[in-house]
Amino acid sequence: MFGTKQGFWAIVRREIVRMQSRPLYGLSMIFAPLFCFVFFTTLMGEGLPESLPAGVVDEDNTSVSRSILRNLDSYQQTEIIKQYPDFAHAREAMQRNEIYGFFYIPKGTQEKASSQQQPKISIYTNGTYLIPSSLLYRDMKTMAVMASAAVGREILLAKGANMDQAMGFLQPIKMDMRPLGNPWLNYNVYLTNTILPAVLALMILMVTCFSIHTELKDNTAREWISMANDNILKAVSAKLFPQTMTFVLMALIYLVLLYGWLGFPHNNGFLPMFVAAVLLILASQGFAVFIASAIPSLRWSLSLCTLWGVLSIPISGFSFPVMGMPDALQALSYLFPLRYYFLIYVDQALNGIPLYYSAWFYVALLAFTIMPLVDIHLLRKAAHEYTYLP
Amino acid sequence: MWVKDLLDVTGKELRSILSDVGVLVFFIIVPVLYPLLYAYLYGREVVREVPVVVVDECRSATSREFLRKCDATPDLRIISYCSDMEEARNLIHRHKAYGLIHIPSEFENTLVQGLQSTVNLYCDMSGLLYYKALLSGCTMVSLDMNRDIQMVRLSGLSDREKDVMTMPIENEYVTMFNPVNGFQAFLIPAILILVLQQTLILGVSMLAGTEAERRRSGQLILGHEYDNPITVLGGKALAYLLVYGFTATYVLCFVPWLFHMPQLWQLPTLVAFVVPFLLASIFFAICISFFVRDRESCFLLFVFVSVPLIFMSGISWPTSNMPAFWKVLAQFFPSTHGVNGFARINTSGALLQDVRMESLSLWILTGIYFMLSLFIYERMYRSDKMPGVEFVLAMRTHARKNLREMSRDIKSRLKK
Repeated sequence: MFGTKQGFWAIVRREIVRMQSRPLYGLSMIFAPLFCFVFFTTLMGEGLPESLPAGVVDEDNTSVSRSILRNLDSYQQTEIIKQYPDFAHAREAMQRNEIYGFFYIPKGTQEKASSQQQPKISIYTNGTYLIPSSLLYRDMKTMAVMASAAVGREILLAKGANMDQAMGFLQPIKMDMRPLGNPWLNYNVYLTNTILPAVLALMILMVTCFSIHTELKDNTAREWISMANDNILKAVSAKLFPQTMTFVLMALIYLVLLYGWLGFPHNNGFLPMFVAAVLLILASQGFAVFIASAIPSLRWSLSLCTLWGVLSIPISGFSFPVMGMPDALQALSYLFPLRYYFLIYVDQALNGIPLYYSAWFYVALLAFTIMPLVDIHLLRKAAHEYTYLP
Repeated sequence: MWVKDLLDVTGKELRSILSDVGVLVFFIIVPVLYPLLYAYLYGREVVREVPVVVVDECRSATSREFLRKCDATPDLRIISYCSDMEEARNLIHRHKAYGLIHIPSEFENTLVQGLQSTVNLYCDMSGLLYYKALLSGCTMVSLDMNRDIQMVRLSGLSDREKDVMTMPIENEYVTMFNPVNGFQAFLIPAILILVLQQTLILGVSMLAGTEAERRRSGQLILGHEYDNPITVLGGKALAYLLVYGFTATYVLCFVPWLFHMPQLWQLPTLVAFVVPFLLASIFFAICISFFVRDRESCFLLFVFVSVPLIFMSGISWPTSNMPAFWKVLAQFFPSTHGVNGFARINTSGALLQDVRMESLSLWILTGIYFMLSLFIYERMYRSDKMPGVEFVLAMRTHARKNLREMSRDIKSRLKK
């Protein structure tokens, strides 16, 4: 079979030579994904940001205010880096990005608290930086409530209540929050599980479309298709085969990195995610071939594939939920392979529920894979009649 | 004469931009449409009415009140009261609900005894916003009900005394610059800046790719009729700056205005900041465009970079918690400083002195990339790596000179 100028393996060999002849393929198929794998997993290596810089404005400067600040500093996620003399200075520091938030204790807090006049302390965070702002808020809010509770508890204990009764009075109903699958609220788990395959899928969409259309641009398409006896399906699948293998290797690397090395939750084991990743690769290739056949222009089909790949990142709903998007985009989200991968990840890796629940998502990815059957004959036609337009 | 040459190059570059649909897509269409798409996508800022399921094992007046109030919060919507955990779990697995409120059977008894009672919340962690909605919705309800319960227990005291007993120190929370703490106000400024830088890189690379293709086929390219490379570089940069003057105005001013996002900038600050950002991006784009060998490879090389770049800017994962290596690498991209500066100028009303570090960095980057592109430019165009090109050029100049002399000759003869 090898050595002949015709047939599947001849095209495969021809494609390997083509891929080796241009550094572009190596850069986009191997370097780009690897860079992103390393970048994202190390960037958020802490999981949950710690010691976020915060400030205080302590106009009261009494034992009560100081104990509040001391307690706040002992929180893992907050680090008081500076005291500011007044509100304006703290706000300016926030605008300079030195701190993400600050605590404001006005003058007379202790005096009012002890004379039972209900003073008010304020929490300010910089909403321009959403994540640190939300995390600081959580610490500061707890601290403010605790400070208040501490005063109240003292009063109650002084009146002869025991600790259980005091807490029962101060906080009759308590919330016990249990985040399923990611109890650490780990951002690395939350984001990289989808960003890594997203980058891979983006590269697949572009490389597939690019490699098919450069055949047309360089006038080698006729030679390529004739090697498959004018069978376009055979020609395309043989051409994409070495790319598929490379991408599967890349997928293996990130899966081992996430679930092996970093030990992220994979409650149903490695296999469901591996199958999902392989199907994502095939689905992306299928989608790209579909676009490449439908639009006989390198630039326009490549533009559309790029748009699809980039847009799939927000629209898959892993950072901002799909249910919060406008209705039109909610409907559109079904047309992105990454969306189904994300849903499989939630079911199989994060929540570890029976495979039965995710079956349709796997089927959807398969559907993307066979999408080219609809219009691939157009590609054959294009290969015979095409002229490159810049 | 260098001014004339410079303007000459600018004119030619503008012409080649306008005559190239591919480049126009990057310089005009993408910057016009892409921000609109993103702003539309995040238009609702936060998630409201997250569907949750309930398992109420207590079935008392108090537990029902708690659930009713949860349902009434803007954050949550109860879609089903399940008879057991199994049923509730099934709904979550089917992605019908993203949270579960479980009220244990001893809930009311414990409260009546004056002890602390617990409500269990289970949250699907596929999105942190579900977690936030569930937690803040239920916490709000519990604080509210706690106060009511305390009021009843304290009957006999005056209202003021009750207030003081239940909350000796009050607190308030203000998210400055992002009133609803939403996604749009936080992410869109970063995306706008990134769109500017990335489209510049893609467009300039496409132009460079076209030149490279033509050079390979032996055609003349822009720049060789001028002997000073600074003129060529400056002329091209001026052309891009002119185009991006319009693009940036649209992207940075019009889009946020259209979507009613916070816009606290002051014009002198904005201009003084955006100009070095554009310059740094332009020379950065020119610099890396030298590596592009054909028109379309820019897609494969530069598009994916946007994803790490947005994280490098520190708008999402805080800069203070990045590994040092990435922090250093991030300094070399204009977008890092651009995002941080613009987000603060636009969203938190910072003045130029508040973003002086970012602004200074952008000027330094402009300098570095200008020198670098000048260096590569010289080497690339004057090296003998490209045999033939020089020869073609020399022939052209020679022919032109001849033509000019000939026409002058003819004219002078005609006059005679």
